[in-house]
Amino acid sequence: MIFLKNSLRLIAFFVLFSCSEKAKDIQITAEEYHGLVDQLTKVMIHDIFSPPVASRIYTYPNIAAYEVLNAENGSYKSLSNQLNELKSISNLPSAKNINKPLAALIAYLDVAKELVFSKEKITSFRDSLHASWQAQNKQQFTAAKEYGLTVSAHTLQWMQKDKYAETRTMPEFNVHSKDPARWQPTPPAYMKGIEPSWSKLRPFVLDSAAQFKPVPPPKFSLKKDSDFYKEVLDLYNLTNQIKEKGNNSEEIAIAQFWDCNPYVAVNKGHFMFASKKITPGAHWIGICKIATKKTNSSFEKTVFAYTKTSIAIADAFISCWDEKYRSNLIRPETLIHKYIDASWTPLLQTPPFPEYTSGHSVVSGAASEVLTTIFGDGFAFDDTTEIPFGLPIRSFTSFRNAAKEAAVSRVYGGIHYNAAVQNGLTQGIHVGQFIINTIHF
Amino acid sequence: MSKKYSFLIVFIFLLCSIGCKKKTKNTPQNYLLNSISSTKTGISFKNILTEDASHSIINYIYFYNGGGVSAGDINNDGLIDLYFVSNQGDNKLYINKGNLKFEDITENANVKGSSDWSTGTTMVDINNDGFLDIYVCAVSELLDFKGHNELFVNNGNGTFTEKSKEYGLDFKGYATQSYFFDYDKDGDLDVYIVNHAVHTNLSHGSASQRENRTPLVGDVLLENKDGKFTDVSKKANIYGGVNGYGLSASIADFNNDGWDDIYVCNDFHEDDYYYINNQDGTFTEKLATSFSTISRFSMGSDAADINGDGFADLITLDMLPSDERALKETEGDDAMLHMQANLKNLGYKDQYSRNMLQINNKGTYFYETALFNKIADTDWSWSPLFADFDNDGHQDLFITNGILRRPNGLDFKKYVASTFKQHGQTEGLEWLYKSIDEMPSGKVPNQIFKGNSTKFSEKTGDWIEKNPSLSNGSLYTDLDNDGDLDLVVNNVNDFASIFENTTNSSKNYITVKLRYTEKNKEAIGAKVKVFAGKKEQIKQVYTSRGFLSSTDSKVHFGLDSTAKIDSIVVNWPNNLKQTLKNVAVNQLQTIYYSETETSLKKEVTETETLRFKKEHFISYRHEEDTYNDFFNERLIPYKVSTLGPAIAIGDIDNNGFEDIYIGAASGKTSEIYLNTGTSFKKSKQKVFEEDAAFEDTDAAFFDIDNDGDLDLYVASGIHSLRNQNYEIDRIYINTRGVFKKSTKKTLINPLNTSTINFYDYDNDGDNDIFIGNLSNPDSFGATVNSAILVNDGHGNFKADPNFILNSRVTSAVWADINGDNQKDLLIATEWDTPKIYINTNGKLSLQEIPKNLNGLWQSIAAFDIDLDGDKDIVLGNWGENNRFSKYIENPIHFYYGDLYNNTKREGIIAYNIDGQYYPLNTKDELASQMNIIHKRFLNHKDFALQPVEKVFTVEALASAKKSSIETLSSGYLENKNGKFLSFKRFENQLQVAPITSLTETTNTAKKQLLVSGNTLKVNTYHGGYTALKGFLISSIKEIKPSTSLGVEPFDNQIKETAILKMKNKKVLFVFANNDSLKTYSFKN
Repeated sequence: MIFLKNSLRLIAFFVLFSCSEKAKDIQITAEEYHGLVDQLTKVMIHDIFSPPVASRIYTYPNIAAYEVLNAENGSYKSLSNQLNELKSISNLPSAKNINKPLAALIAYLDVAKELVFSKEKITSFRDSLHASWQAQNKQQFTAAKEYGLTVSAHTLQWMQKDKYAETRTMPEFNVHSKDPARWQPTPPAYMKGIEPSWSKLRPFVLDSAAQFKPVPPPKFSLKKDSDFYKEVLDLYNLTNQIKEKGNNSEEIAIAQFWDCNPYVAVNKGHFMFASKKITPGAHWIGICKIATKKTNSSFEKTVFAYTKTSIAIADAFISCWDEKYRSNLIRPETLIHKYIDASWTPLLQTPPFPEYTSGHSVVSGAASEVLTTIFGDGFAFDDTTEIPFGLPIRSFTSFRNAAKEAAVSRVYGGIHYNAAVQNGLTQGIHVGQFIINTIHF
Repeated sequence: MSKKYSFLIVFIFLLCSIGCKKKTKNTPQNYLLNSISSTKTGISFKNILTEDASHSIINYIYFYNGGGVSAGDINNDGLIDLYFVSNQGDNKLYINKGNLKFEDITENANVKGSSDWSTGTTMVDINNDGFLDIYVCAVSELLDFKGHNELFVNNGNGTFTEKSKEYGLDFKGYATQSYFFDYDKDGDLDVYIVNHAVHTNLSHGSASQRENRTPLVGDVLLENKDGKFTDVSKKANIYGGVNGYGLSASIADFNNDGWDDIYVCNDFHEDDYYYINNQDGTFTEKLATSFSTISRFSMGSDAADINGDGFADLITLDMLPSDERALKETEGDDAMLHMQANLKNLGYKDQYSRNMLQINNKGTYFYETALFNKIADTDWSWSPLFADFDNDGHQDLFITNGILRRPNGLDFKKYVASTFKQHGQTEGLEWLYKSIDEMPSGKVPNQIFKGNSTKFSEKTGDWIEKNPSLSNGSLYTDLDNDGDLDLVVNNVNDFASIFENTTNSSKNYITVKLRYTEKNKEAIGAKVKVFAGKKEQIKQVYTSRGFLSSTDSKVHFGLDSTAKIDSIVVNWPNNLKQTLKNVAVNQLQTIYYSETETSLKKEVTETETLRFKKEHFISYRHEEDTYNDFFNERLIPYKVSTLGPAIAIGDIDNNGFEDIYIGAASGKTSEIYLNTGTSFKKSKQKVFEEDAAFEDTDAAFFDIDNDGDLDLYVASGIHSLRNQNYEIDRIYINTRGVFKKSTKKTLINPLNTSTINFYDYDNDGDNDIFIGNLSNPDSFGATVNSAILVNDGHGNFKADPNFILNSRVTSAVWADINGDNQKDLLIATEWDTPKIYINTNGKLSLQEIPKNLNGLWQSIAAFDIDLDGDKDIVLGNWGENNRFSKYIENPIHFYYGDLYNNTKREGIIAYNIDGQYYPLNTKDELASQMNIIHKRFLNHKDFALQPVEKVFTVEALASAKKSSIETLSSGYLENKNGKFLSFKRFENQLQVAPITSLTETTNTAKKQLLVSGNTLKVNTYHGGYTALKGFLISSIKEIKPSTSLGVEPFDNQIKETAILKMKNKKVLFVFANNDSLKTYSFKN
């Protein structure tokens, strides 16, 4: 009897096995991973997330995917016990016979869906993918799913302790102030200061938000011979010169190309809306994609590049926002309107947060350092990121040159003084270098 | 059993028949104003809008503002003819053939107009030939709109010739409407043309830009110089800046000085303008000193005396919806929280998006009562008209409504934001145009309100059909000469409406037609006063009213059942008066100007001897710190951090005159001023400098340590940076005039204290203290304990364990209300009832009071207000002129708890509509505190109309702590044999804003209460409630505005008033939050 039972099971097993042998491996390429990142970008544009929040949304799904690939015997080193408070996974199933790239995609989507408002836009995308994988090879899919979801659950648990939830209920930036140097909301939407408590978030690698605190900005003064006032006047004169050159000037092309402001408000009578753009973080994620594609990077390298870049961007935002709401510096538009020229407008719309340091400069500094270590210095590329937003391609000879241009674009755009751009870039390079030197990928 | 059933059947049958009756009632012939079909009238005019990618709301913000209509007898046949403006199509002129039949004579008459975008219209006899001409405004030089304002001069034979250039009236710009009047009293008609701005970077700039005149955009005043109109705007001090979003004006002699003034409604952030005629060809703009609350998106307006006091009142329309769905789906004032601060920096006044009914107080100031009248939220409203539609002798109000698409739909905004890809400017605009159908429809019924000279009540669906429409310009006139006013309305994409008034002969009336001098035959600017049945009604002759439209120049008065008119007095434009006695009712009375019958008799106006004289004693300004409750507790319903200044009064130097302590806001030094009997001298106290960080909310001088001199107890509020060391109450001991912090034992009170009141309630020879706490500085929603501190005789205090009060205390007083010579404790609370504790030898027992008295009580006093010899309890509540009052028929709830498991407790307010409770806050406001709301309700339309149980959960609400308000009325608890079982509401004028202070004063042996209040603690949803300009009450029957006695109107948030004696006089102190101290001397 016992024998019979066993043999039956054996037969059943055999039949099952032979079936699955017929089923092919689910092929996952880097292209599929790009697809997920693009989908997440799309949903983020729809939900309108601020640049710092967007940087956080990019990072956790990447880390989940990276850990699927590398928690055990990967081509890269696991990030657990390297990133702040990320422990290794205790209940990780055996990685044997797991389609890791597939599990990585599953983990990515599982984390991503928790980060956006329009969850359904991720879950319906996920469901159609799951259905097609299941049809291709149910067993492989089921195993990968179990593996992927274990990693994503671990990632989510860690994510939920990063103080993001707490910062939602922290005080808003108080715009009622008599200090003439203090940031004020800017036209035309006069939005409140975005994410005043972002520095309270747990950084990924930095020991604290203030680790790379930049030198303070020139001391606020309206005296004609002060360094600060000179900066304001320089900016005013420079932007006027640019405007004189006209719409086809190189400076205007640069300013528009790197605008990356999701809050640009278009004012049409009783309605005002944001004409959507991607965030600075999203732009560099786009450059990362271009680089991995140009180098025909493997799935593993692609995930690695996205992960390292997004971590650098996220910590750059934490570092930058820490300074923004320390110095709380007033934007050029407010000052120039009040003291110099009421009819002056910046070429770009002023984004809704304090001036110092320039977020785009810090982020570009950090991202370009990381990308340079991955793909090398002097890596030339054509930046096609802004094509969907009606802007042309720009070509760069290196990531660092692109970063320099991104930084200076904010001065051309009339939304930052020079110090915010110079010191911001330095701040970003420090963040990037620190990540490169601290984390072993 | 069977009996019961048959009864039920009869009842059901009855119900059916009632239902059926209602149905028949809805057929047109049963309204007061019945819509007459176009086939019947022959008026087939429609204002059809044709949109394309380069002509739509996307490129022109006023694309849906609609067209005007004007009335006048153009062929002098005694019947009123009508002219309709089509924005893009042909304008139409209809001749009245009698019996409400009209004939379109546009083609022959040559009046269809040639401008690409026409707007407002007025009929005026420009060449004084006795035939009315037609003036039409146009928007030109915007987009590709060509044209100019047109003047169709009546040839007297049914044809017209366009002659605007000849008269200098061919204005080119963004014109909306023209207002003909004689501002300089030279006998001819000049014109004010309202023009609108469009959004540019500059138009969002500083308020001072209104001083730089801008072509096309700025309003203009044109002076008539022998038939030629020339621009005198600059000379006359008329603003014409790039930010002048003018949409209408109302001309009236607002201050009754005999010269015409102008109120201009400006849309968006620009303030309205209130021009007072200087009688020398110039005007002075006085909005800031005459109005405390104005509409933000001011659209149409009208002026008329609605309360019978002889002064013109004013209404301005805005776009606040009353519909709960629209409220939650469209952008409202909540979005202005951050914008408002910036606008203030740019020099603009605080404005709120709702209709404003401005009641004129004898030409000196206006107080606003639209919320009280429930006419504040008539939705996207264009044209208001005051007129007596039911001929009962009171002004009623008709409002046109509707917008083709609501451009402020929040989902539309989000949709556009997340889908818009800016492929360059042109492409982007084209894409936007394609998505305008995503905007929600704003088709809503017009509304009508019956007036009784004290309050309006809505009659929509009763007096007039309740059909959604897109109505803009409108006018009233008697089309069929039957003695009642019919209505004419210009609609977008639909037939113009004619509403026949069916009052007919059921009520009496008089219509007055004036004939004045050569150059102003219609007597524009004349005032007509009708004295009949002990009642006086006044109307001023202006034709342009409401929005884009003008009525005829006759004036109409309903007389109800009064059969005799004692007299009619005409005040001609030259301010000469002419009187007609014993005029018959129910007729058209024409009055011709006759120099021999006129006189210059000045009207005798009662002038009260001013009891209070402004006199300067102390330079003091209370300056609030920059702490902002709304940034720290996003859902807090109002600020609790602006409770100052703290005032204590007492003779601390024993010179026989009371001195004063003024406690400052966090960061400023508090002061003591010593009263010498002739002046006040500052007494420097080092300890106050050391304690400047504290926020003082209340204070009292009394002997704390029983050493015979006055010590000081100061209550603390919320510190500007929330340092808890600076949020506890303090005791200062007086040592020969020097105050030092007490080291004695007392209760540490870290709560937000609102009131302290001392009294030896246990009669043991020392002063004890009641400490009233309003809130926990960390979290508004929690109720907090108040306490009585018992003095051990040496200034050590401990709490009376028998006194337990967990509530939100705002104010309290010790007063003997039962005549046992022991003071009792009276306490005002918010979201709770007033508390009355009778004191019997130190034992405090809570008294029974009437049910349903949970309120937002702000002040409490014992005063014999009904003059029956015992003390009643006077109670200041929020009043009935606020946004809560709309919902107060049912309790308004406040839930406090962790409603969304975000580890933070939040407080939310919910109000009842048709049995369902809805959250007051918008989706975005709730989400700012509870991120998950964005995930649960992706779109605003998913959130709108979700009751609180769905927005949160039944369980979450059940576990939350609930408090309520059931009444907002101020009033008093009547003392009947020591019981307080009936609450009596004060009359209307005391309900216009919160009452925060009740100060007793004595005037020639008569006791009076000085009533003051207002609040600016509220957020932008409420705006600010500042309509309570001050009253002196001797009894419920004797209420007098304090302004009539010389006290300036209270425009700010009054903390309290106080009266101090000096050698030869008394001084009234008025303490306001964040404003200067004002003092008035008086003898008695």
